[in-house]
Amino acid sequence: MKEFSYTVEDPNGMHARPAGKLATFAKQFDAEIRVIYRDREADAKRLLSLMSLGAVHGGVLCFRITGADEEAARQAMERFCKESWGSGA
Amino acid sequence: MKKEYERNVTRKGVGIGSGCAAGRLAFFKREQTVIKRDLTRSREEELLRVKTAIDEAVRRLTTLSERVSLETGASEAEIFEIHAMLASDEDFSEAIEEEIRNGACAEDAVERAAKQFEAMLSALDDPYLSGRAGDIKDVARQILAVLGGEENARAVDSDEPFLLVADELTPSETVTLDKSKLLGFVIFGGTPNSHASILARAMGIPALIGVGKIADSYEGTYALLDAAEGTLVLLPDETTLKEFQKRARKVNALAVEHEKYLRSLIHKPAVTRSGRRILIYANVGDVHEAEVAYLNGADGIGLLRSEFLYLSLDRYPTEEELFESYRATVERMKGKRIVIRTLDMGADKQAEYFRLPHEENPALGFRGIRISLSDEEQFKTQLRAILRASGFGSISIMLPMVVCAEEIRRCRALLSECMEELRRRDVGFDAGVELGVMIETPAAAIMSDELACEADFFSVGTNDLCQYTLAADRQNPLVSGICEENREPVLRLIEHAAEQIHARDGWIGICGEMAADLHLTQRFADMGIDELSVSAPYLLGLREKVTECK
Repeated sequence: MKEFSYTVEDPNGMHARPAGKLATFAKQFDAEIRVIYRDREADAKRLLSLMSLGAVHGGVLCFRITGADEEAARQAMERFCKESWGSGA
Repeated sequence: MKKEYERNVTRKGVGIGSGCAAGRLAFFKREQTVIKRDLTRSREEELLRVKTAIDEAVRRLTTLSERVSLETGASEAEIFEIHAMLASDEDFSEAIEEEIRNGACAEDAVERAAKQFEAMLSALDDPYLSGRAGDIKDVARQILAVLGGEENARAVDSDEPFLLVADELTPSETVTLDKSKLLGFVIFGGTPNSHASILARAMGIPALIGVGKIADSYEGTYALLDAAEGTLVLLPDETTLKEFQKRARKVNALAVEHEKYLRSLIHKPAVTRSGRRILIYANVGDVHEAEVAYLNGADGIGLLRSEFLYLSLDRYPTEEELFESYRATVERMKGKRIVIRTLDMGADKQAEYFRLPHEENPALGFRGIRISLSDEEQFKTQLRAILRASGFGSISIMLPMVVCAEEIRRCRALLSECMEELRRRDVGFDAGVELGVMIETPAAAIMSDELACEADFFSVGTNDLCQYTLAADRQNPLVSGICEENREPVLRLIEHAAEQIHARDGWIGICGEMAADLHLTQRFADMGIDELSVSAPYLLGLREKVTECK
C-alpha cells in the first residue's frame, strides 16, 4: 500500500467539478484508491463518494493506494493533485 | 399564506373554434417531469429499464455537453459532463438497484436513491458543498424523463381535465403533449396560425390566443373559456359559472344539431351547384388523425406531414419505422389517396440530432427539400419507405419548399434510384406513384408553367406562401395581421398557378389554412381548384360550403 496526503486548494472545497476530474483521472489505474478525510472514507474513482466527503478548502486528504500498479498510481495521482487539480485548471 | 384574488376577472383574446370549455388551469412546464408508476413489471424488467434509461440520460448529457462546449465554451459545458458522471456513478446505480431488489419500481428507485444522496450532501457542514444536492436532483430528473418517455418530459401536472396555459408551444412540444385530458388552450402570445392554434383546430377544442401573461399563481384555479366571445374568465363566482354553463349548453346544443346535418353529408361527394366536384381532403400528422379524418368523410389525405415521426424521436427513424407508420396510415384510409409530404424540417421545426446550423433567418434558410437534397441518404430512406407503403394503397409524394424545376428533376432521379434498389431487394411498390410539389414560395407560383412539366400535381401551402409573399413572419404577432389582411396578392398567385397547371393537365389543391376559410371557397371553386385539404374538424363544414357554391 502506498500513501500520500494533499491539502485541498480549491476555495469551494471538493465539489462536483474537482471531484469529477479526480474520479476521471483515478479511473485509469487498476489499483484501489481510497481517500480519507476526517472520519470519512471515499472511493477515488466514484464521484458521489468523493463529493460526500465534504472536504473543504484547507482540508487534508489522505490517499491510500493498493494494487499492482500502486507505485505508478501514487506518483501520477500526487502529481495530478499538485499540478493540475489543485490549481483549479 | 393565502392571497385573495379578485373574482370574475375577464381576459380578452382571439378565439379559435367556437366552443366553450370550463376547467382548471394547468400551466405548461418545460422542465416538469410527471412520474407514472407501473407496478406490474418484474424486477429484472425494472433493472433493465433503469440501466437503459441511465445510458440514455448519459448519452443525452454528453451530447448536450459537446454542443454547449462548441457554442459557449468548455467551462460552461463542464456541468453537463459532471451530470453525466453523476448519472453513471456506481454508488448511485447500486443504490437504485438495491431499491429495485427491495421491490421498488424503476421510477421510485431513482427518486429514493436520489433522495438518499441529496440528504447525504445536504448534511455536509459546508454550505457550498451541501448546495450540490441540487445536482443530484437534476440528474435524477433527467433519468426520470427518459423512463417516462418523451411525452412526460414536458408535461402538465393535472389528474383531471384541464385548460392548458402556455406562452406558446413549439412543434415538438405539441407533438409530445399528452392530449387525453386537454379541454382547451390559453396562449399568452401566439397567432391564429401558430402551432397551438393549429393543434386546437385539429383536435376540435377551443383556444384563446394573445391573452397576455397569466401569473403562475392561477395554477389549478377554475376558469371559463369562451372561444366564440374571445374571453377567459378567471376565478368565476357562482353566478357567472351558472350563466356560462347555460350558455355552453346552448352553444353545444346548437353545435350538436348542426353536427347532425353535417354528418348526413359525409358520404356525399362535394359538388358545386354548377356540377363541379371538389375533393375534400384532410391534413394529418399521424395515423390517429387519419382515423378522425376518415370518420369525418375525408375523400383522402391531402397533406400527411411526415415531420412528426422525426420530431418525436431523438435519432433518425429507420426505413422500417417510417414504412410501418405510412403503411398504417394508408391502410386506415382504405384505398383513398394519401399525399405524403417529404420531410419539411428547418425554420421553426428543429430536432437536435439534425444538427442544423444556427441561422439568422431560418424561414429563408436551410429547410424542406433543401435539407433533404443535402442529405441524400436520409432522403432516400424516406423515399424507399414511402414507395414500400405505396404497395398497400394509393400514395402520392409531395416535395416541400420547391423553387425551381431542377429540384424536382433531382428528386425524381433519386426516386428512380430508390425504385431500382427496391426492385433488387424484390420489394413491391407502386411504380406509377405521382410526384407533386408544394407551392409555398412566390417563385413556385410564378414558375408553375415550368414546374408543371416536371411534377404531376401541386398543392398550395398558403401559410408559407402568405409569409413569403407579404414578407411578414406568421409567428410574429407584430406583423402576422398583415397576412390576414392582405390575401389578394396570394390569391392572384394561386389563380395564376391554377391556370398554368390546368393548361398542362396537372391538378392543383390547397392545403394551407386558407383552404378552410369558407369565405374563400367560392373563389377557389371559380379558379377551378381540384382539391381542398383541411384539418379534420373543418371537413364537414367545408363539404357543406362547397355544395352551396355556384
